[in-house]
Amino acid sequence: MTGRVRSVLAHATAASLAASTAAAQSWRTLDVSRQLRDSAPAAVQVIYGTGKIGMRATSNPLLYHMLLRYDATRTQPRHVFDTAGRKLQIGVQKSEVRFTGRKDSDAGYLQLELSKNTPLDLNLDLGAVESDLDLTGLRLSRLRVESGASDGRLRFDSLNATRMSMLEISLGAASFRGDRLANANAQDVRVDAGVGNVELDLGGQWTQDMDLRVDITLGVVTIHVPSDVGVRVSLQKTLASFEHEGLIERDGAWVSRNWDSAPHKVRITAKTVFGKLTIDRTGR
Amino acid sequence: MRTAILPLILAVAAGPLTARQAAAIQQRPTAGKPPAAESAGKAATPASAVEAVDSAKAQLSKAAIDSLTELVDRFRRDPEAVPIPATAQVAMGGKTVPAGTEVPGPVAVAGGPLHVFGTVNGDAIAVGSDVIVHPGGRVTGNAVSALGAVTLLGGSVNGEIRQLGGALGAIPKPVAEADTPARSTRHALALSSSWLIILVLMAIGVLLFAGDYLDGVVDSLEGRFGRSFWAGVATQFALAPVLALLIVALAVTILGILLIPFAIVAFVLAVAGLITLGFLAIARITGESVAPAASKRYSARGAALRALVVGVSIYMGLWVLASAFAWAPMVGTVLRGIAVAITWVAITAGLGAAVLSRGGTRRSAPAAPLAAVNDIPWQTPTPVTGVVAARRRTPSSSARER
Repeated sequence: MTGRVRSVLAHATAASLAASTAAAQSWRTLDVSRQLRDSAPAAVQVIYGTGKIGMRATSNPLLYHMLLRYDATRTQPRHVFDTAGRKLQIGVQKSEVRFTGRKDSDAGYLQLELSKNTPLDLNLDLGAVESDLDLTGLRLSRLRVESGASDGRLRFDSLNATRMSMLEISLGAASFRGDRLANANAQDVRVDAGVGNVELDLGGQWTQDMDLRVDITLGVVTIHVPSDVGVRVSLQKTLASFEHEGLIERDGAWVSRNWDSAPHKVRITAKTVFGKLTIDRTGR
Repeated sequence: MRTAILPLILAVAAGPLTARQAAAIQQRPTAGKPPAAESAGKAATPASAVEAVDSAKAQLSKAAIDSLTELVDRFRRDPEAVPIPATAQVAMGGKTVPAGTEVPGPVAVAGGPLHVFGTVNGDAIAVGSDVIVHPGGRVTGNAVSALGAVTLLGGSVNGEIRQLGGALGAIPKPVAEADTPARSTRHALALSSSWLIILVLMAIGVLLFAGDYLDGVVDSLEGRFGRSFWAGVATQFALAPVLALLIVALAVTILGILLIPFAIVAFVLAVAGLITLGFLAIARITGESVAPAASKRYSARGAALRALVVGVSIYMGLWVLASAFAWAPMVGTVLRGIAVAITWVAITAGLGAAVLSRGGTRRSAPAAPLAAVNDIPWQTPTPVTGVVAARRRTPSSSARER
């Protein structure tokens, strides 16, 4: 018997023994990828319930590459690519969002790499996850992030090469931070949060004006706007506070002093109940 | 922030598989469109590789083949697997698809690598080993490796590249613990003991916060057990009709419809409260009868608490006893039947007493206390001789006059 075969059989036996002794869970890893054939646009839906999720762009000639660690007794992987419709569904099929009391080391994770060369309509459907979404380098024509209870970060470190029709972020109870969102190259940005702490950094390369709609029920929203960008804030608040240092009231809205002269503008429409909205123009 | 550790996971966990694959792919940036010039330029390499691979094909012992056969069977049952040929057609120890040849898929190996120099029309599968797609090699289906890796050395895979790790095989279903007699006995004992503790705690609570109401139900129950019992039976029969009547009465008024759910909840809570109060009352009477407290040793409340604990323990003790014999079906069933009967009688009588006393708010009229007689008016120096003496008032005569 060769050493390699012996090693494989030993690992297989150990894995089966572990599976039998801990019948309540069966941890597995799945590594799936698909070679890139062309650069036609694709729609990607990522579904993930519980655990940690990381995402980034890949320069390798792959349409997607997913590494998933999951408990097979609770979760079933999903990786379906419709070649004709150019639709990819990836992540998990089902996931029971429940508190198991397990340590973090037992948690599953999903790491997803997507092609830099394919224009993507990206839809992230996340449950109770800890997410690090580095979308730098991806060509996103549309982005929608929906998350239940999350601790998440989204960032664009360089300009999205494709103009994004809409960036939509919908959060349940979350701590969320979006970095350098101007690089998303989106004219229409919507953020809807139930309860939580949302921090939006509108830094990056401005190529167009932005309409930002923020709706948060209970929580704190902080929007960092570069000082050379004009700001106009329309606010509907109920039992909420608004910190508007550097803004002046004009025509029922709050505008920055450079509103008329700024090369790019952001129009913020905010609704908050029991919340706090802060506009920070310190130029971070 | 916890997200800070995610890049570490990305860097470490993805490393071993991704790096190898990515490095291989990077060598052929136009993978999927095999460059003819490069293939031609390296024509000698694949040929020597085939020879080397064939000569290096693992010679496996029978034990190893048996183990690999079992591994293949497990792979077959894995939900992430692709259809694999019959075990006899799985090449144990590895296989090479030579350049310039086309083989129908699926092609499967176990315990040795699958080298693809030519074309596999279908899936290429390796169990416990690697799939290696060499320059010019092509897999029209999926390339799948279980407990190994898929390595692209310039070849192409039309389908998905899939690597399975960790446990292999069918997903284990949670196995329910066998319901042994010992286990069922333990469970029954734990359940009945828990109820005993809960009822004792409830008894203490009722005594502390609703002692007067409990006294009222006890008063109603004492000496009128039969009446309370039949009142309890009648109440049990009347529960459903009364609830139905309540719902109908609310439904006939349009606004009352909205109150129906609340009324149902309130009704259930009221009945539960009456049953508990009644049961505790009868437990207290039982406790007082079985273990009467020495009056000087306990305060009134202490005696009541002692009686309650004793009474509750008696009634729940029947259940604990029945639970202790859960391992013996016949004896356990008989004891449970006795416990059910006695508990039902106690609850019924208690419920009846609670209803008759309107939850302990209405008490039996106590016997009127005898009026004190003022003796001073009768202490007169008047000689009684020769005078018509008035009859001295006595407590009994005072009561009669009233």
